[in-house]
Amino acid sequence: MEQTNVQVMDNKTSTKKKRGLAYNLKKYKGAYLMILPALISAIIFSYLPMYGIVMAFKNYDVKLGIWGSPWADNYGFQHFLAIFKNPEMFKAVKNTIWFGLVILFGGYPFPIILALMFNEIRSKWFKKVAQTIAYFPHFLSWIAVIGLVYTFLAKEGPFNQLMGSLISGWEPINPLMKSEWFLEIMFVSHLWKSVGYSSVVFLAAITGIDPGLYEAASIDGCGKWKQVWHITLPSIKPTMVIILIMSLGGLINVNFEQVYGLQNAFTQLDNEVIGTIVYRQGIMGGKYSPTTAFGLFQGVVSLILVTTANWISKKLTEQSIW
Amino acid sequence: MKRSLGEKIFTVVNTIIMVLICIVSVYPYLNQLALSFNDGMDAISGGITIFPREFTFENYRTVFSDPSFLSAAKISVLRVICSTVLSLLVTYAAAYGLTRKGLPYRKQLTLFLMLPGYIPAGTIPIYINMKNLHLINTFWVYILPGLFAFYNMVIIRSYLQELPPEMEESAKIDGANDLIIMFRIIFPMTLPVVACVALWLSVGAWNDWTTTLTYITDRDLHTLQYLMMRLIKEAELANSMTMQQAMSKGQEVKAKVTGDTVKAATLIVTTLPILMVYPFLQKYFIKGINIGAVKG
Repeated sequence: MEQTNVQVMDNKTSTKKKRGLAYNLKKYKGAYLMILPALISAIIFSYLPMYGIVMAFKNYDVKLGIWGSPWADNYGFQHFLAIFKNPEMFKAVKNTIWFGLVILFGGYPFPIILALMFNEIRSKWFKKVAQTIAYFPHFLSWIAVIGLVYTFLAKEGPFNQLMGSLISGWEPINPLMKSEWFLEIMFVSHLWKSVGYSSVVFLAAITGIDPGLYEAASIDGCGKWKQVWHITLPSIKPTMVIILIMSLGGLINVNFEQVYGLQNAFTQLDNEVIGTIVYRQGIMGGKYSPTTAFGLFQGVVSLILVTTANWISKKLTEQSIW
Repeated sequence: MKRSLGEKIFTVVNTIIMVLICIVSVYPYLNQLALSFNDGMDAISGGITIFPREFTFENYRTVFSDPSFLSAAKISVLRVICSTVLSLLVTYAAAYGLTRKGLPYRKQLTLFLMLPGYIPAGTIPIYINMKNLHLINTFWVYILPGLFAFYNMVIIRSYLQELPPEMEESAKIDGANDLIIMFRIIFPMTLPVVACVALWLSVGAWNDWTTTLTYITDRDLHTLQYLMMRLIKEAELANSMTMQQAMSKGQEVKAKVTGDTVKAATLIVTTLPILMVYPFLQKYFIKGINIGAVKG
C-alpha cells in the first residue's frame, strides 16, 4: 500500500522535475517553507558538528580552531591507538562491553515473560491496575530512580531491613560503596525501571495473535505450556527479533545517566565506561581530541553491530529494521 | 469451558507473582514518600516503611523556602513549556510539509532529516559546536538542539497520511491557502497525535539533567532534575567520606540526617508532575509506541 503510493508520487515527481527547480520551489513554496525550520535545525545541530569529528585525527587546539590544528601522529590515528595503550580507556571499553552484554542478554527475556504473564491475567480490572503500576517506573527520570536506589540500599534502608529479617546475624552493608556490586545494582535498577514498559511491544504482538489458533490447539489437547511454546512464542518472533536488533547497538552504548548517577568515590575508578570517560576527560578535562576519538570509536562499533545484526537477521528470518 | 486443576494453579501462581511485581514496582517510591513526611532526626534509626513514623511538613517547608530550589523550578517549567511548544511547531510543520501531495524531492529531504539519527557526531563535536555557537551557559541550549526530532515527525506524518484527502481539496476550492488549511482544518483533526507528541516532549524535557551537566555552569540556569542529582550525589559523598568524623560530632550527623529527608521531599516534588500526568501518559505513550512499531 505504502509502496505503491510512493511509486505514484515518484512518477509525478519525475514529470515535475522537468519543469525545473525554480518552478517547483515556487509551486510548493508553502510546503518547503514549512520544512525549512526542521532543515535549518538539522544542519546547525546535527550536520555542523559532524565536521568536528576531524578533531579525532588532530591535536585540537582551541586557539587554532578545528581546521588550523595540527594532524595527530601515526597518520592521524594516534588517539585511536592510544585507546588500547591507555589502561584507563581500555578498561572502560571492557566495562562498557561487559555491562552491555549483561544488561542486553540478561535483561532480554524479562519483558517477554512479563508480557506473557499480563496476557494470562483473567480479570480485566486487575490487568489494568497491574499494567498501570508496572509501567510507572519508566516515566521517572534516571536520576530520580537513582535517588530511590540510594535510599533503598542505605544502611538503615529497606534492603538491609529485608536481609536482616531473612538472614539471622546479617551485618548491614551499603552495596553502593562496594565496587563488586556495581553491575548487580545497575542490572536490577535497569530492570526495575524498564521491564514493564518494554513489555508493551510484546504484549501488543501477543494480543494480535488469532485466538482461533489457541482454540484449535486446546481441542488437540495442548496444555498452557505447549500453547505458549508452539503458538505464542513463534507468533511474536518477528517482534522479538526486531527488538533484539535495535538493542544490539546498546552493547557498546551503556546508559551514561545510569552509570554516572550510580558512581561514587568508592566505585567510580573500577566502573568507568566510555561515556563517563568522555565526559570527565573531554568536557570537564578539556582533552578534546582523545575523547572525540574515543566517542567515534564507540559510534562506529555501534553502527557496525546494528548493521551486522540486521544483515544476519535478514538472511535468517527475513526480519530487518531497514 | 471447564478449566483443569493445572490451569487453576497456574492462574493463582500468576496472580501472586503479578502482585509481587506490583509491590516491588511501587514500594521504593512509597518508602520515599513516607520518608519525605518523616522527622529528619527520627529517620536516622531507619526502619521506616510506607508510613511516616513522626509526621511533619518540615522537609517540604525546607524545600520550598530554598531560593535555589525555586529558581530551578522556574527554569524547569519555563524550559518544558518553551521546548514543547517550539519543538512541536517545527516538527509538525515539517511533517505537514512532507505530506503535501506530489512534493518534489520528498525522498531526498526525508533522507537528509533521517540520516543524523544513524550517524551521530558524538558528545565532544556536539559540545564544541555549541561552544562555537555561543550557546554554553544560555537558556537556549535547552531549547534549540531539540527543535526537530525525526521520530516524532514520523509519528505525526503517519497520522497525517491517514486523513481523508477530500477535506483539504474542498477547502482549497473554497480558496483557503496552505497556512489556513493547516491551522484551521488539518491541525484540529490531528489533536490526538499532537497530544501524544506534546506529552512525550514535555516528559523528556522535564526529566533531562544531562544537558545541564554538560553545558551549564551558571547556577541561575540549573534545573530541578540537576539540583536533585547534585543533592543525591553530594549527600552520598558526605555519607561515605565523612561519616566517621561526623559520628563524633553530633552537629554534623544532624545536618546529614535532615539532608536525607529533605532529599526525599525534593525527589517527591520533582517527580510529582510526572505522577500527575501519568494517566494521560500511559494512554498516549502506549498508543505512540504502537504507531511507531507498526510504521517505524
